[in-house]
Amino acid sequence: MAISESKTPEKKVRMKRSIIDCDVHHLAPVSAIKDNLPRFYRDQIDLWGWRLPGPIYLNGGVQGLTVDSTPPDGSNPTGGRGDMEYLRTQHMDPFNVEYGILTGSDYSFQASPDPDYAAALCSALNDYTIEHWTSKDSRLKGSAFIAKQDPLLAAKEIDRIGSHPDMVQVIVASGAEKPYGNRFYHPIYEACVRHNLPFNIHVLTEGLGINTGPTGAGYVTYYPEYRAARPQVMMAHLASFIFEGVFEKFPTLKVVLQEAGAFWIAPFLWKLDADWKSLRFQTPWVKKAPSEYFRSNVRVTSQPIEAPPSTELFQQMMKAVYADECMMYCSDFPHWDFDSPLLTFPKLDDATWERIFYQNAADLYELPARRIEQGGTQV
Amino acid sequence: MNRFLVGMASEIPEGSKKIIQAEGRSVGIYNIEGQYYALRNTCPHQGAELCSGITASYITSNGPGDFAYEREGELVRCPWHQWEFDIKTGCMITDPKMRTKTYDVTVERYDVSVEENQLYVHI
Repeated sequence: MAISESKTPEKKVRMKRSIIDCDVHHLAPVSAIKDNLPRFYRDQIDLWGWRLPGPIYLNGGVQGLTVDSTPPDGSNPTGGRGDMEYLRTQHMDPFNVEYGILTGSDYSFQASPDPDYAAALCSALNDYTIEHWTSKDSRLKGSAFIAKQDPLLAAKEIDRIGSHPDMVQVIVASGAEKPYGNRFYHPIYEACVRHNLPFNIHVLTEGLGINTGPTGAGYVTYYPEYRAARPQVMMAHLASFIFEGVFEKFPTLKVVLQEAGAFWIAPFLWKLDADWKSLRFQTPWVKKAPSEYFRSNVRVTSQPIEAPPSTELFQQMMKAVYADECMMYCSDFPHWDFDSPLLTFPKLDDATWERIFYQNAADLYELPARRIEQGGTQV
Repeated sequence: MNRFLVGMASEIPEGSKKIIQAEGRSVGIYNIEGQYYALRNTCPHQGAELCSGITASYITSNGPGDFAYEREGELVRCPWHQWEFDIKTGCMITDPKMRTKTYDVTVERYDVSVEENQLYVHI
């Protein structure tokens, strides 16, 4: 037997049971897909550059990444050491990730005013993800980017790529021109329902390009403010889905709220329920209390989970956001605010752990039960 | 059970109401299509005078932009937070477990000489 030499020392597997990680950022920058674009856009890029809105004001870590994700040779970590080898040795293997849902690394096209260009970039990126990532490791599943700027083009892309077995959801940035419940977007949801794909809203591009400002009070100066504003944007999307009647029109549609935190949802649902009691007759197509729609149609990923001052409060907040039914673990690897599956949560009871670290995601993305050697039942 | 005189039936024409005091309680008497209903004039939520709220219909919908009016005049919306209650049952529309008390109302026809019927609420 040949002894293979590994550049990166293998981390010992520490997770006894395998997990599903719902937010793994893989290296998929638009710069990698130029050759896959139509000639017209290649010519434009040669003449005028990428003409995409720039990144957010600031970030944490080293250009947004964990310090240990900087390559040993010190080369530029932009885009992350999200390469396949790094992902496997530093994350998938040590944390026993049974499935990782890939969420890309460049969302700039989500803020572009040119819907045709955005759609071309999305198609090329989706093909790139399948060719260079999901087809090379069966643990990896992809998210299909769409040009939400033009819902008909977006639906076309969902119809093109949505039935590929490695594409498990549709993904957009939370930065938008209108909140996502608006009827403008409904062709996207028709396509999601057609292909039985969840619609994932991942934070990014708020306040950039064509998208509205990052807060209702205007533009913020520093990155902590920007992070603090993310739940505001997600709140607007969540209320919009409910009160525009999206879940009545598309009862099987599932929406995932990603990376805006989770515990803000509790008082927000209390508020929505209270207001629905008072204002039911203004939107009579909303048949159930908003919290009921949340439970049936919305899922939230955990990272970056808020840190209540005591374990007792943490458990209460988990209950208040229906975590057993609605929360799915994610790490945000390799970003600097990575949540370790080992230490981020206080000790959870076994059933709750199982729902959050595996089963809720397996149900949503229709992934198999964990294999028997991973502590599961599937042979 | 005591009965309290509400007044003459003619004081509460169809679609209207009258609020009376009976045994220290405030009670709203509604006339819905010739039938009388009495509600405790207190919202179980935060204690507003429920019957001083807007008398409304039950608005339903098949989807955004579509509005249908059902059960004309059978709901009262609390004056403070606009919670809707079914006047006939006292139950809140969105959460029927939340309810205000209802009472029986009878019509007595003894004052026929002036063709006036007297309403009694039974508390």
